[in-house]
Amino acid sequence: MGKLTIGSFSSPSGTMSLDFAIKLAEAAVNKGHTVDLWLSGNATVLGNRDHKHFKDYSHLQKTIKILLDSGRFQMTICEACADARGCKKDNTLQGCRRASMDWYLASCFNADRVILVGDN
Amino acid sequence: MKLCVFMSEYRSGYDIVKRLEAEKLGIVLVGNSVYHAASDNKAEHCMLPENAELYVLAEDLECRGIETAKLASEFRVVTYPDIVDLIFDEYEKSVWI
Amino acid sequence: MGIKKIAFVIRSMPYKTEVSKLAIAHAIASQTAEIYLENGEIVEPVLCFIGDGVFNCIKNQHSMKHYGVTSIEQHIKNALLLDLKVMICKEDLNKSGIREDAVVMDAAEMGGESRSIIAPYQDIQKEMNSADHLMFF
Repeated sequence: MGKLTIGSFSSPSGTMSLDFAIKLAEAAVNKGHTVDLWLSGNATVLGNRDHKHFKDYSHLQKTIKILLDSGRFQMTICEACADARGCKKDNTLQGCRRASMDWYLASCFNADRVILVGDN
Repeated sequence: MKLCVFMSEYRSGYDIVKRLEAEKLGIVLVGNSVYHAASDNKAEHCMLPENAELYVLAEDLECRGIETAKLASEFRVVTYPDIVDLIFDEYEKSVWI
Repeated sequence: MGIKKIAFVIRSMPYKTEVSKLAIAHAIASQTAEIYLENGEIVEPVLCFIGDGVFNCIKNQHSMKHYGVTSIEQHIKNALLLDLKVMICKEDLNKSGIREDAVVMDAAEMGGESRSIIAPYQDIQKEMNSADHLMFF
């Protein structure tokens, strides 16, 4: 089994790129791999807790919680990007980490595979 | 290198992917790029590199109302678990365009 | 122990989105990744501007003056100051009508010694081939 590091800077609402990232993470974890998910830019909003579920928008937090509970999945948001968007530490999803960008580069160093899921 | 390219747009990014060189090149159509796989117009397929293995994400086809039975034969329909295997077993590097 | 090379390939245009700025910021962050790594483990970044991404490299940007945000030019200079390898695709500069003397080549005024490399696409392809991981922005 290997380690996959997924990065993304896409917004959790208004685009489907983060849906791809989470579904890929879920499939990898279900196959026994470990996954690091790094979120920067607009993607850090996904780290806010208590997103309300409207059916016009994808709701990824239920899957994220299951992934976090699996023990084979880490989710880390860029602290500066989050702060710039008013996403405060005390409103961060339980289990989601906050770190500077060098954490992501270190995760890539130790990863077997890396994919950056783009689109703003 | 063995390179897996995820194409997510219908019109943009093809200039970039056309000049990528790899000993093994895979193109995975996701998002709106899946419309290329459904087109009867061969010119649409020509936007993709000739030497590439072509894959298309089943979930994104169905999401857009495209039946997999109508796809051209050069496209292999894959699921998210299949993509994990492509990333780990078939290719060394992956990029999203 | 060891070096892992990551190629940050920038094809996005500047300013409409923050994508190119994020790319450079992530590349620069590789310089402090060692705090999470073992001794002797190094992340070696290379920044490559291709396609529409070459527009990021035009010098004399004044985004701070007009919008109060750091310019992409400043970010490129910060990368050069830290001796990151910066490559700009020669063919794409020509295709976009950008003169080679119109792009950011150094950070000499900040004391930097490294220079951008205006390179044929084939040289950038070689960087991608030799990288352990690729990230397209």
